[in-house]
Amino acid sequence: MAPTKPWGEWFLGLRVPPAGVFGVAFLARVALVFYGVFQDRTLLVRYTDVDYRVFTDAARFVTEGRSPYLRATYRYTPLLGWLLTPNVYLCELFGKFLFISCDLLTAFLLYRLLLFKGLGRRRACGYCVFWLLNPLPMAVSSRGNADSMVAALVLATLYLLARRQVACAAVSYGLAVHMKMYPVTYILPIALHLLPERGDPGRPRCPFQARLYEFLKRLCSRAVLLFVAVAGLTFSALSFGFYQKYGWEFLEHTYLYHLTRRDIRHNFSPYFYMLYLTAESPWSFSLGLAAFLPQFLLLSAVSFAYYRDLVFCCFLHTAIFVTFNKVCTSQYFLWYLCLLPLVMPLVRIRWKRAVVLLMLWFIGQALWLAPAYLLEFQGKNTFLFIWLAGLFFLLINCSILIQIISHYKQEPLAERIKYD
Amino acid sequence: DLAHVTAPAPLFAPPPTRRRGAGRRRSEPGGLCCSLPRRRNFRGSTAAGSRGTAGPQARVTESSVPVTNSVAALSRSGVRRAQAPPSARSSVFTRSARAPLGSAFSSVLAARAVGVRAVAWLLLWEVAGFTSIPATAFSAAPTDTGIRATCSEIILRQEVLKDGFHRDLLIKVKFGESLEDLQTCRLLIKQYIPSGLFVDPYELASLRERNITEAVMVSENFNIEAPNYLSKESEVLIYARQDSQCIDCFQAFLPVHYRYHRPHSKDGETVIVVNNPDLLMYCDQEFPILKCWAQSEVAAPCALKSKDICQWNNMKYKPVYKNVTLQVPVGLTIHTSLGSAFRTSIFRNRSQ
Repeated sequence: MAPTKPWGEWFLGLRVPPAGVFGVAFLARVALVFYGVFQDRTLLVRYTDVDYRVFTDAARFVTEGRSPYLRATYRYTPLLGWLLTPNVYLCELFGKFLFISCDLLTAFLLYRLLLFKGLGRRRACGYCVFWLLNPLPMAVSSRGNADSMVAALVLATLYLLARRQVACAAVSYGLAVHMKMYPVTYILPIALHLLPERGDPGRPRCPFQARLYEFLKRLCSRAVLLFVAVAGLTFSALSFGFYQKYGWEFLEHTYLYHLTRRDIRHNFSPYFYMLYLTAESPWSFSLGLAAFLPQFLLLSAVSFAYYRDLVFCCFLHTAIFVTFNKVCTSQYFLWYLCLLPLVMPLVRIRWKRAVVLLMLWFIGQALWLAPAYLLEFQGKNTFLFIWLAGLFFLLINCSILIQIISHYKQEPLAERIKYD
Repeated sequence: DLAHVTAPAPLFAPPPTRRRGAGRRRSEPGGLCCSLPRRRNFRGSTAAGSRGTAGPQARVTESSVPVTNSVAALSRSGVRRAQAPPSARSSVFTRSARAPLGSAFSSVLAARAVGVRAVAWLLLWEVAGFTSIPATAFSAAPTDTGIRATCSEIILRQEVLKDGFHRDLLIKVKFGESLEDLQTCRLLIKQYIPSGLFVDPYELASLRERNITEAVMVSENFNIEAPNYLSKESEVLIYARQDSQCIDCFQAFLPVHYRYHRPHSKDGETVIVVNNPDLLMYCDQEFPILKCWAQSEVAAPCALKSKDICQWNNMKYKPVYKNVTLQVPVGLTIHTSLGSAFRTSIFRNRSQ
């Protein structure tokens, strides 16, 4: 197979220092924020996302000493409302600048992680460009979505784990799970990753019970226990504290809504049509539970197969979680896109094939957007076509994941870092 | 033709009185015409006294004028005269112009005047029996017919713009007659939103900020994301604005959105029905149009940003359409068994 051309190779010719790239990315995001202000004032279609208005209204309630859940559709942690109180006191753009900063922090952590894995500065910067100059995260953060905060926290967790700072990583992880529920799936690969080496590799014909017992004993190693305990403590402290302050509303909107969310409205997931048609049937609850099964099986399989490379494992986890979820919107793509620059050095795909896969990914979305537009803005009955497009998009995502997995080559020089 | 109105004065007085009356007629065009005498009699009896006739004569003149007016109102032949002061005015001019032309005219007039006067006296007895007739009846008698004739309908038209799940409801109200007084009136539309639609109150707040429309939701505790069968009707108050393109028109605008509806077994579409709204009107003064069409009173805020409650009048109007029906695409339950449904839907789409 021809040697891969790393994505950022051509940047070597440019001789731009990493600080320069970061500076350009920051300026581009700031420019977008101010453009958003202009568009909000002049055009009828607003640039700012509806979510940002929800956050600001909730922050206003917080400044008045009331519950942020008084604002309808506020389904996030109260921490976000608290963090955005300067929106009310100082300037309404504060939140957007906070999200842009988290975006840049994400990129910085990517850069440090890539350096830590042994890449050169230029190459690391080249891979970071995928996140820094990518229009999708730029637009998402400047529009006022809070996804970059969770991305930054997840990357902080991975970075701290790579540097063997288990307790700090656990705090960051607990905070990330509190803000968005999806990182909870990482607990299995993290636990497997923190396990000490097997003292006696591969005893054949070992009874299953003995192996299970040994596995559980290893699971109770110091690192794993420390991580689980600290993360659990962080999460419980936050939840308990907010429950004391805001009561049942907090639990309902922050956690339960996301767990039991059954969105029958059209979205990328092909499950939506089944949920819509069976919404009132007695089978709907069991069907909803059954939809968890493919996710669960695949996630477990991937965890056990790839836990040694935590970053790759987490990337696959998130990609599978988003692809097979009952609800899938374009916001969710950021969750695994932020881990893609870390995975790219390890996945040896010819750049032509990579471009083809990328095009297929965009075509899959376009094929879904067309009937969805006809339904929502022209009132045509295109439910079946939306469902088929969702199914096709699922197939495309699966084929991309299969390609990534099959071309993945673990770094030969990567050592298993032992945790004491 | 005005003889029976002006006759009593000349009959009591010698011709010079009439000439005096004629002169006065010339100097005060329409001074003795139908409309002015009526007013003089009810707003100031001194006006009749200024004519210079004797007391009892004046009183007779005063009382006979309303009698003859009521007679005119009651008898069909008099209606025309009572209603048409301008023509009476012109006939006064012609009378005053023709009077010097020949005495024949005056004798004919005198004979007619006697007959009519007799009838008037007879009827005066009848009318005296009706002691409870209020003064307003006299003034209202000709004006009632005036209102019934000039009280045109209020026309309301409901339209839905745009396509798809996000629509704009446009309500246009047109008043049949051109009245400058409408500038001081305010119109409030109380729209009932069926459970198949929803209105986003935050969107309304943003439209209020941008001064595009003034609408506010009355109902509380709604769920924007719920489907149709888990939702309830809601109410929205829209403060209508004057339409710049049409005189005496008001319009109101409201963005609405579809909810998801139950899937259907055969049809790919179901229907939402939007009924005609309540039209509420508030004017600073009493206008005839309010008297015509007001059915009941409703308490609502006077303006969007004020907390004062006004008593609005619920007006009866004529709607252009009985109601507005909207088509909503829904899923087909036959798709639930996806295998066979896949084939059937392809054939259905081909046949359409």
